[in-house]
Formats: sequence, structure tokens, C-alpha cells
Amino acid sequence: MSASPFPYLSPPSVGLLYTDHHAWLRTWLQRRLGNAADAADLAHEAFLRLILKPAPHGFDSKLEARAYLRAMAQGMCIYLWRRREIEQAWLDTLAAQPADFAPSAERQAIVLEALQEIAALLSELPPKAAQAFLMSAVCGMTAAEVGQELGVSSRMVRKYVAQAMLRCMQAQAMQTAAALRQAAP
Amino acid sequence: MSGSPAMAAAPAGRPQRADDAGPPPHDIMERAAQWYALLVSGEASAAERAQWQAWLASHPHHRRAWAYVESVSQRVLAPLQNSPDPRLLADRMRAVDARTRARRRALAAIGALAGTGLLGWAGWSRTPLGGLMASWTADYRAGVGDIRAFTLQDGSRIWLNAASAADVDMDGGLRRVVLAAGEILVSTRHGDPRPFVVDTPQGRLRALGTRFTVRREPGRTFLAVYEGAVEIRTAGNATAGVIPAGRQARFGPDRIDAAAPVDPAREAWARGELIAWDLSLAEIVDELGRYYPGHISLAPDVAQRRVFGTFPLRDVDGALAMLAEAASVRLRRPLPWWISIEARPAAVPPRS
Repeated sequence: MSASPFPYLSPPSVGLLYTDHHAWLRTWLQRRLGNAADAADLAHEAFLRLILKPAPHGFDSKLEARAYLRAMAQGMCIYLWRRREIEQAWLDTLAAQPADFAPSAERQAIVLEALQEIAALLSELPPKAAQAFLMSAVCGMTAAEVGQELGVSSRMVRKYVAQAMLRCMQAQAMQTAAALRQAAP
Repeated sequence: MSGSPAMAAAPAGRPQRADDAGPPPHDIMERAAQWYALLVSGEASAAERAQWQAWLASHPHHRRAWAYVESVSQRVLAPLQNSPDPRLLADRMRAVDARTRARRRALAAIGALAGTGLLGWAGWSRTPLGGLMASWTADYRAGVGDIRAFTLQDGSRIWLNAASAADVDMDGGLRRVVLAAGEILVSTRHGDPRPFVVDTPQGRLRALGTRFTVRREPGRTFLAVYEGAVEIRTAGNATAGVIPAGRQARFGPDRIDAAAPVDPAREAWARGELIAWDLSLAEIVDELGRYYPGHISLAPDVAQRRVFGTFPLRDVDGALAMLAEAASVRLRRPLPWWISIEARPAAVPPRS
């Protein structure tokens, strides 16, 4: 990658951006992800997003366009890694079970989806609130036990759990609203 | 009341299509979340439970807000509570969450620097699937599957093992290397009067003219000295000890374990080899995992098999194929990035 700015003389179309940067972005992603198929998917997705939601001020130069695309792709990598790591966390949990334990594919899909959803919600909360919620709501630990582990009062644990639950309820409300909108004629 | 206290007495199922669309007012949603937190805390008194029931009964908005609690509990929380090992799962989720946060922080930090034109964007390198945040911002790093050699400003050489990272500071009165992750082999250059030190969270290693490896392990540091000697000073209480050539030792912040004869195979990774002389399969897989960006899982019934041989670290697939022969195990790939090592199925008896 050269450091010269390559100015755009007029605002570039998505088509021109694609020609200029798609191959480069795919290579860049492949280096980060170590996988050609994932890289191709994410590169496409990045351009799709660029069409749906163009950069606020457009681009004056190729360098600027690349910086923008890279920032976007970086965020997508973080998301992809989280998805993969959650899958792996689930597979590891399964692998730790006795060999004859084999939940149905449907059951597994339900758990995985719940994990992905809760991970997305928890990542928006302060880390301790996220931990307190996992320990209370998923592991069934009492507020006193959680407080001891996190080094906070059980009152604080209750506050964290309420904060996390409220966030989940809001997400649920948004989903329900979206479902109702879709169901409406 | 039986079962989960929070779930009693409320109508099951998704929130109903309500009299007026949309969720109840925010403060009522908040109150419902607080009731939930109290009920799962294990600290709710009988009087408080009665208050909660009264609250539910007193207004349709309250019941609607509670229906959202129900819905989250049934759709998202119940599958996790009923999973085989919720604590293990929660623990792993916490680790994933921490890594995601660290990545976002690094992204924000680098983004801020890039905006000022100080850094540019070229500094990213491949990082392992498991995330290795320290290495993203370190001066020198080697990704999964890489072994890299660097010559420092003073002429000293360092080799970074796979998934390793180090910062180097040569500006003060010290030649200082901070091992951020993984393992490093150092060959110091004589002639520079400044002391050469390697820092880890557990202490400082001072080279006394030398060639040695330092490796970070959870809560400890591993040191092996091949030439010269290295002085250890622990971070917690400044216990000092000198490890001479041909010896290796581990130390924590407060104590240095007894030194043992050095294992020459420990240095071989700098040449891209793993020498296994009576190692368990588990130890070898642990080592190979540092060179493989996916996940290698090992069946417990074969983990303790002993292995002899030399394996190429730069070609993990080749190494695993050789390993499958050497330890007579079977490789399976349930997912593209997941390798499973298992016992070979018993031979099928020939049909008569």
C-alpha cells in the first residue's frame, strides 16, 4: 500500500469504489482472518453496507476510502470472531460432557442462538453487570455468592442484574414491535 | 411457590398484542427488572414477594412489563440454564466478552491514532482466533503459525515464538524487552554497557551475557538458559536468584522454583521444529495449538500417549499427520477450523 493520497476529482460512485478497493479489501481481510471464503463474504458485506449507508462525507481520496473500509471491516471481523468464539465455547462445553450426551440439532441451535443474542446484549453493558447477570440468571447463583465473586455488595449485584434484564427486555420489546410491524398488512 | 421464584404467577408466553402498541412506560419496565433482580437474588422476603404480587395485580401495564421479563426468561435464559453445564458455559462466555471488549478498545485506540496521522493503518497483523490483544499494540509480534526473528537496535537478536509479542525500549539506561505474550528466545550482543533485561508480570530477568528463552505461562514465567547466566528478580518481593547455563526454572511473583536441567528441545522452535522426546500427546497438542489459528481438541483417552519424534512447526497439518502416525490416533475435522484428535476405531474383523 503506497502512502500517496490518490485524490478523487469527483465523488466516487460505489461502482468505482468497488473497482478500486474490492480486491484490496478482500486480501486485507484474508490476512486478518486466514480464510478466503470468510474474507470474500465480509468484503461483499462491507460494500453492501456502503450502498445501504454511504459514508457521511464521501471520500476525497483513495486513502480515505481505504481507511473507512478498513475501519468498517475491522468492526465486522470483531463481530465474526465473537460469533465463532461463542460457537467454540458451546462446542467446548459439549465436548466436556460424557460421550453419550448428544442434544438434538434443534436443541443445539436454540442454545447457540440464545448465546449469540445474550452475548450481543451483554457486550453493551459494563463488564461487571454482564458478569453478574450471567452468574445470577444463567448459573442460578444468589446475589450474595455473585457479590463475593465480583467483590461488590449484593445490593450492587441486584442493581447490575436489573440493569441487564432491562436491556434484554428492551431488546425483546424491539423484536416484538418489529414482528408486529411485519405481521401488519 | 415452586420452581424458579421469578416465574411463578405470571402469564406465560410472549407479550400479547397489547391494548395500545409498544411496551409500557420506561419506569415500569425498570421496576419490573428490579423485581426480577430481587426475586432471583435469593434474598426476597415473604413480604417482598407479596408486594411483588400486589404490584402485578395493581395495573395492566405492570403485567405487560412483567410479560417481557417472562419472555426473556423463556426464550433466552431457559435454554442456557438447561444446558449441560451452565457454569462452564457462562465462564467461557465471560472470556469471549472480555476479548470482544479488548478488541473494540484496541480498534478505538488505533482509530484515534490513525485520525491524527501518527500511526496509519498498516500495523495490523494476523492474530489468532482466540484473540491476543497484547500483541496488537506491541512493537514486535508473531501471529499464530509464525516464528519471527528480529535484530534489535543494539545488535541483539530475538526470536518470537508463534502467538507471541514483545515491546522493546532502548532509549533509557536499560535495554529493556517487555514480553507481552508467548515466548521469546534472546541472544544478547556483547559490547553494549547497558544492562539487558526482560520483564514479565512475575519479575525481571537480567541477562549476564547470554542466550535464553522466556515464556509466559498463566501466573508464572518459564526461563531456560543455554549460554551465560540470567538473574531473576521477582516482582512481588524481589527474591533474587541466578540461573546458570544448562538450567531452567519457573517463577511466580513471590518465589523461584528449583532449577532443573535444561531441555534442549525447548530451543528448537527457533529453527521451526518441535522435538518430542517422550512427551505426552497433550503437551504436543498444546504446543502445536500455538501454530494453528483454529481449535485442536484432544480426546481424553489418548491425551497421555507418549510420543517421540521431530515435528515441523511451520506446517501444522503435516505435523498432525505425522503425529497421527506416531501416536496411532485419528484426525477428524468437524468444522473447517476445528481438528479433533481421537482414538482410532477398533479394526473391523474380516468377514468370514
